[in-house]
Amino acid sequence: MYSKVILFFLCLSLQAHAHEMTPTYPALAPSYIDGVSVAKMKLFNRREDVGYYQILVYTEDWLPISFASEEKIIKIGYNKTKSFNVYVRSVDLDKTVYICTVSKVFKGTNQIALVSSMICSKIKQ
Amino acid sequence: MKQITAIIFLLSTGTAMAVDSPIVGQVQPKCSVYTETQGVYGHPLPNKLSTETADGGVAASIRYDIAQADYYKARITHPNSFSSSPTLTDAIAWTGSSVVGQVSVAGMSAYEAAKVTYNNVTEFDMTLAGSTWFTVKSSASYGYTKSLPAGNYTAIIKAECIAK
Repeated sequence: MYSKVILFFLCLSLQAHAHEMTPTYPALAPSYIDGVSVAKMKLFNRREDVGYYQILVYTEDWLPISFASEEKIIKIGYNKTKSFNVYVRSVDLDKTVYICTVSKVFKGTNQIALVSSMICSKIKQ
Repeated sequence: MKQITAIIFLLSTGTAMAVDSPIVGQVQPKCSVYTETQGVYGHPLPNKLSTETADGGVAASIRYDIAQADYYKARITHPNSFSSSPTLTDAIAWTGSSVVGQVSVAGMSAYEAAKVTYNNVTEFDMTLAGSTWFTVKSSASYGYTKSLPAGNYTAIIKAECIAK
């Protein structure tokens, strides 16, 4: 009986929605463009309520850094993984510390309180 | 002759190769943020919205799964403004909290005592691998005995997981 109850709660917990990004400590390597370095990242969306994530790059003091990517707002389906590259100018290499993805919330949703998740990886120095 | 041929064929079929078929997996050091319960504001008074159970609300529950000890810190920001609401002519007084709920490792209970709080932000140092549930509460009071105008209100909790 207890095992059935535990199984029921385990099934309930599987309804949770997750946001993941790897690697934790990416390396910025020279890209095919002169003077530009690239970090390869992977995003996993298990949030059914979220379809878009924004890429952000910061210094150690959380000041934004200019970067390029194939898409700065990533459209990603539920339970899907997407790889993306973040290109940073070599002159900004020393001050680039965090690469983050933040979930975007739809405007005009009927939900009264929402959770925006953000995961930040730290550049391997 | 026919028998010898048959034996040769039988032997040849008996030399089938057995191949190992391994299942491979890799667990990377990573952080997963799970929104287990989206918060809901109750409306106990005309000028108040609150996630307290006593006020008819539901507190948000956010789970952090940490695959590698001491690699991440959690930063949770409870709302201090509405992201969308009807036009408000008076100030809103916001309160809120982020506390450790369930833990998968007993030692994680110490996160609560070691948390750092500033403004509407609470930081937890995730020194152990495993799952930690955080309960986030929020309350908004409008002006002095003023009723909140009818309409849709949305406030956003920000749950961050930052590599150390």
